[in-house]
Amino acid sequence: MSIAPITPPISPELAGITGVTRIERPQAAPDLAGTFRAALEDAHGAEHRATTAAEQFAKGDTGMGIHEVVIASEKANIAIRYATTLKNKALEAYRELMNTQV
Amino acid sequence: MSTMDFFTAMEVSASGLSAERTRMNVAASNLANAQTTQAAGGGPYKRRDVIMQSVDVPGVQGTPFAQAVKGVAVSQISQDTAQPRLEYDPGHPQANAQGYVAYPNVNPVEEMVDMITASRAYEAGITTMTTAVNMAERALGIGR
Repeated sequence: MSIAPITPPISPELAGITGVTRIERPQAAPDLAGTFRAALEDAHGAEHRATTAAEQFAKGDTGMGIHEVVIASEKANIAIRYATTLKNKALEAYRELMNTQV
Repeated sequence: MSTMDFFTAMEVSASGLSAERTRMNVAASNLANAQTTQAAGGGPYKRRDVIMQSVDVPGVQGTPFAQAVKGVAVSQISQDTAQPRLEYDPGHPQANAQGYVAYPNVNPVEEMVDMITASRAYEAGITTMTTAVNMAERALGIGR
């Protein structure tokens, strides 16, 4: 048997709707995976810089003061929490989709 | 990174903290050497002064605010050109032919004021930093 395709107008009410344009998806749309990867890399870099700063301070490097070390670790803290927040949000969205009743 | 906006504020106040720390070090040097009659290069110690300069901070380059948001750095530590303080003390080994000893052009009261200013400016920088961190944390807490 052949399935008849749905041809517009589907209903008389919809026939009057004009001027609706299709919105194209942007070509380089930032996807969640890419954003998450970038956030993870930033967090990794910040964490590495914080560790290096702490090591340099412990070694008595004259260019490394107390506030530089504290600021580096605070930046790492924020970057890691940012990455964690993205991870949590992505997982939350995934679970939401998985729990969809069909 | 999208959290770079708060990181910029942190970079700027970090540069301020470093500059104020240098100012503190210079004030400490001036106070410690307030009676130094024999400095490197001959003569009494000369009072040092910091020259601060606004510098670019990473994170704002390429944005419309690149010329507006600036950090600070100590561009140089210059010597005060004021004349040394002469004190009459003929028995002093460093006394000149007239019996006067040249003491540094350091006024301890002035240095104390400089130190308090540096300390307060450092505190202001810390407050800026804490506020930026708090804002970033609040932003991370959206929707939690």
